[in-house]
Amino acid sequence: MKEPMRFYQNDYWQAFSLLAPGGLGALGIALFSRYSMSGLLMAVGLIVMTIGLYFWSQNRYRTSLQAFEQHLTESLQQENEGKIKALQAAQHENALTCTKQFEAERKHIEILMADLAQRFDSLSLRFGTQDQPVEAVKRSVETQIADLARRFEVLSKHLDEQSTDDEKQEQGIAGLDSLCQKVLPIWSNQVEMARVHTEESIADLAQRFDALSQRLDAAVLASQNTLEGDKDSHGGIVELLQDSQSELGSITQALGSSLEEKEKLLRSIEDLSSFTEQLSKMAWEVSSIASQTNLLALNAAIQAARAGDAGHGFSVVADEVRKLSRSSGDIGRKITETIESVNEAIEDTLIISRKFASQDKETLGNAERIIAAVLRHFTQAAAGLVDSEELLRTENKAINNEISDVFVDLQFQDRVSQILTLVSDDLNKLEQHLNEFKHNERSDGSSRSVNVEQWLEELTHSYTMEEQLAAHEGAKTDIKTHQNNITFF
Amino acid sequence: MAKTILFVEDSASVRQVMKSTLTREGYDVIVACDGQDAMSKLDGCKIHLIISDVNMPNMDGLTFVKAAKQLPAYKFTPIIMLTTETQQEKMNEGKAAGVKAWIVKPFQPPQLLAAVSQLIQA
Repeated sequence: MKEPMRFYQNDYWQAFSLLAPGGLGALGIALFSRYSMSGLLMAVGLIVMTIGLYFWSQNRYRTSLQAFEQHLTESLQQENEGKIKALQAAQHENALTCTKQFEAERKHIEILMADLAQRFDSLSLRFGTQDQPVEAVKRSVETQIADLARRFEVLSKHLDEQSTDDEKQEQGIAGLDSLCQKVLPIWSNQVEMARVHTEESIADLAQRFDALSQRLDAAVLASQNTLEGDKDSHGGIVELLQDSQSELGSITQALGSSLEEKEKLLRSIEDLSSFTEQLSKMAWEVSSIASQTNLLALNAAIQAARAGDAGHGFSVVADEVRKLSRSSGDIGRKITETIESVNEAIEDTLIISRKFASQDKETLGNAERIIAAVLRHFTQAAAGLVDSEELLRTENKAINNEISDVFVDLQFQDRVSQILTLVSDDLNKLEQHLNEFKHNERSDGSSRSVNVEQWLEELTHSYTMEEQLAAHEGAKTDIKTHQNNITFF
Repeated sequence: MAKTILFVEDSASVRQVMKSTLTREGYDVIVACDGQDAMSKLDGCKIHLIISDVNMPNMDGLTFVKAAKQLPAYKFTPIIMLTTETQQEKMNEGKAAGVKAWIVKPFQPPQLLAAVSQLIQA
């Protein structure tokens, strides 16, 4: 324990009060002894003693002055050390808080980016295409934030080392002020850059996902219109198929009716052949009558010849009758020949008509089979299209749900942005505080101090999320997703 | 006739996503990037619903809500706050300012659409 310091403030005057009586005493001794040898020796002795006392007194003053100076220096050093330690503790706490927040944020971004990359890959697989830059964005943002977290770690270690070594502490604190003044704006800029870069990248990603969603909706709508028709009353494939089925059915019906008409015609022609038989019979009867008439005319001519001249006129008539019967016989034969020709023609017509009827029947059967096959193919194709459309619709719903989840994940950017803005603001505040210290030291030489508790309290009040507070208090936490996140008033 | 929604949000990505989502649902959407920008868009035009973030630069969401409620044309316009804020004090402040619903991010777009539909029909 140090002794209390004694300070002789007026030693010059004390020395002077010794010197004056000493001088006067020596003069008095010299005068009273009338300048005798012994008197002079006593006076000299008194003067020597007085001078000795004077110098001793002077020396004691210098010594006390030095002691005071030393005491003052030591007390100032102690006071400054306390304040510097407080400042250092504030910087240390701040850096630790920033480090924890950055670490928590970095991990959260890593998880979200991995999830986003996975979702994007799955979407790309569904679409059969590979779009670019999620990995690039992820790497870029992760690299920047990891770099910042590493820098904070380095600062934290630096502060830890300083607090354990008193001798180095003096040098470290002097260097730390300058370091902080230079490095804090850089960190702040880096944080801001990372924040802006993340925001731009996420906005771009959001736009891409939105475009994907819109294109998918448009594709599903087009497919639906193709199958079921659109609102402008343009029929779809299903309606077209039904129309085709109906129209092709009516064509086969028309073909069937035509075939029936042909069969009726064939039956009419067959009926004609029965008429020709009757005609042949009639022609044969005509020939028979002509033959009998000729025989009768021949008998009449014989009888006329027997009658002589009286039968001359009768023989003329008999000749004429014979001529007529011959002509009738010729006509009967010609009729028979003609009827036979007609009969042959009808037979040929019947054969050809039957052949055509058979071919038509076969053609109609083929047409019906082909039409049925085509319609079956169409129906199968349409059913396939309906299945595809249904699958597309289901996939669209699943992808829209995925995109909806992606949109939820993309909102992390807003939270990250707020956390980074807060860290950046606090870094700027620390820089401003250091600048004010420097300025005050230069202008009035006053000592510097910082209220660590107040600083941390203000930082606590600036948080907007529970996770920030948890990170501040040192808990390792991930950013929460609230399940019941709507409150109606 | 389509209903008009004013969407105030400083995050470009959330703005982009929600504008698209609301437009697809048939709403006309006016967007603003902060409270100040939003105030400049309240020029007397008919707005059926306001959705606003809380923490924004220039003018925060709660200040904007209080200022908007001072305008006669928007005194009864329903307001939804969309924010990361979970502090009860802030929610109480919003309720006192006339906010109808408080949604904490991150949210599913269908959740917001349900709340929008509910408040616009009310």
